[in-house]
Amino acid sequence: MTEEAKDLMDTARLWTVRASDSTFNQWDDLTEWLEADPAHLAAYEAALDEEVWVNDLLQHPEASAVLGEQHVEHEAPRVTRTRRWWAGGGALAASIAAVAVLTLQPFGSQMIEVQTGPGEQRSVALADGSRVILNGETRLSYDAEGSRRVTLAYGEALFEIRHDDSDPFVVTAGDTRLIDAGTVFNVLRSGNALEVGVAEGAVIYEAAKDRVHLNPGDVLTRSGTNGQVRLSRADPDSVGSWNVGVLHFQNATLAEVAEYLSRAVGKPVRAGAGVGGLRYTGTLAIDGPPDQVMARAEPLLGVAIRDDGKNWEMKLPDGASR
Amino acid sequence: MTGEQPVTTLQSVLLAERPRLLRFLVARGAADEAEDLLQELWQRVAIAPRQPIGDPLSYLFRAAENLMRDARRSRASRERRQFEWHEVAIGPDEVPVGERALVARERLREVRETLSALGPRVEVVFRRCRLEGVSQVAAARDLGVSLSSVEKDLQKAYRALAQLKAKYDAE
Repeated sequence: MTEEAKDLMDTARLWTVRASDSTFNQWDDLTEWLEADPAHLAAYEAALDEEVWVNDLLQHPEASAVLGEQHVEHEAPRVTRTRRWWAGGGALAASIAAVAVLTLQPFGSQMIEVQTGPGEQRSVALADGSRVILNGETRLSYDAEGSRRVTLAYGEALFEIRHDDSDPFVVTAGDTRLIDAGTVFNVLRSGNALEVGVAEGAVIYEAAKDRVHLNPGDVLTRSGTNGQVRLSRADPDSVGSWNVGVLHFQNATLAEVAEYLSRAVGKPVRAGAGVGGLRYTGTLAIDGPPDQVMARAEPLLGVAIRDDGKNWEMKLPDGASR
Repeated sequence: MTGEQPVTTLQSVLLAERPRLLRFLVARGAADEAEDLLQELWQRVAIAPRQPIGDPLSYLFRAAENLMRDARRSRASRERRQFEWHEVAIGPDEVPVGERALVARERLREVRETLSALGPRVEVVFRRCRLEGVSQVAAARDLGVSLSSVEKDLQKAYRALAQLKAKYDAE
């Protein structure tokens, strides 16, 4: 690289550093700089790619532990960090040797347990060619040999299933069985509340006396073990879209949006007074550091999102009248 | 009250400042999609709940910048996702995932060494802003330095990390 090219990259990096901060407002200056020479845009995007590369590394469950270990004065975030590190360690072992936690079952078959910490995502390839992608704070287990049975203890997972008519794939969540019929589907379990969305193929939902056939775009929600089953429709492309760093919402309350964001950033996001009932339809990108996720979400959701140490809180912007 | 018809305000700012926003999107490489992106921005602003915004124009620029970043980012993840699917198809075991995790951990250690070689302040600034999510203005205030020195510290960090990336890319 020539000296000139190095200097250009340095200038570009200063611009991306500045523009990535939520308080940046020198947009006209940035425009002028970009217009001054076609090489500037290329350098700016190259600098952004560097940022993305670094941010991806920082998403690693052990990032805080490795990079932040000499740094102890911030009480609240450390709790999260320790937990992330611990959870990450467990899941890491799982993926290295596929041993994770091997539990002996009464009949001698071994269960593999995989777990993710807050804000962490992990992909598990099953022996039959199916794939399960775990969202943050999720635990599931499957049979080491015939891995066509998965138990979701809690959290959210996207299932991309290699279908076999003679040997259906079954996901168990508490008292509920979800049986695939050639399928990509997403399951979110929180206590005994359940949400099942189907992207492709079909899923049969079975619980007690209920049996519901779900087609692409169907979303089934149930608030608890005895909760009523409700069906709604979503764009099939949006099912499990957290997996590609994007969340789609259709007329969702901000309380629901907050729950999804918590899962994505690994720290509780709460809807403050007067905010939870507002509704949002649209897309949120959830990659990058949490402050950037929030900075991007603020103008779209129309709220201010503040970090009070333990939580992110959505608030009506100062001076809002309703 | 200040926020009488705030959404309309935001939309009227968008209308009034349309040429500036369009110019920015074009400079950002949106080319013939600039108009469409502005339209998308218009719709997002329309569905946002009522809100007074301190600096509406900066909000709109930020949203435009994010649209450009998200588009680039989602192109990259789509490609990556397809790539991963090929890997699953070829060898459905978990070793590649594990190797990637090991590689990532090793890289994080090198990131730490790279940063600590730049001196304690760069390291602290980087950690505060990029790991803990503190804004650059707040980090500058906490450390009692100017915003511009925080920005230069981060620039220094990314310059050094870019060399690390270049090294890995060459491997």
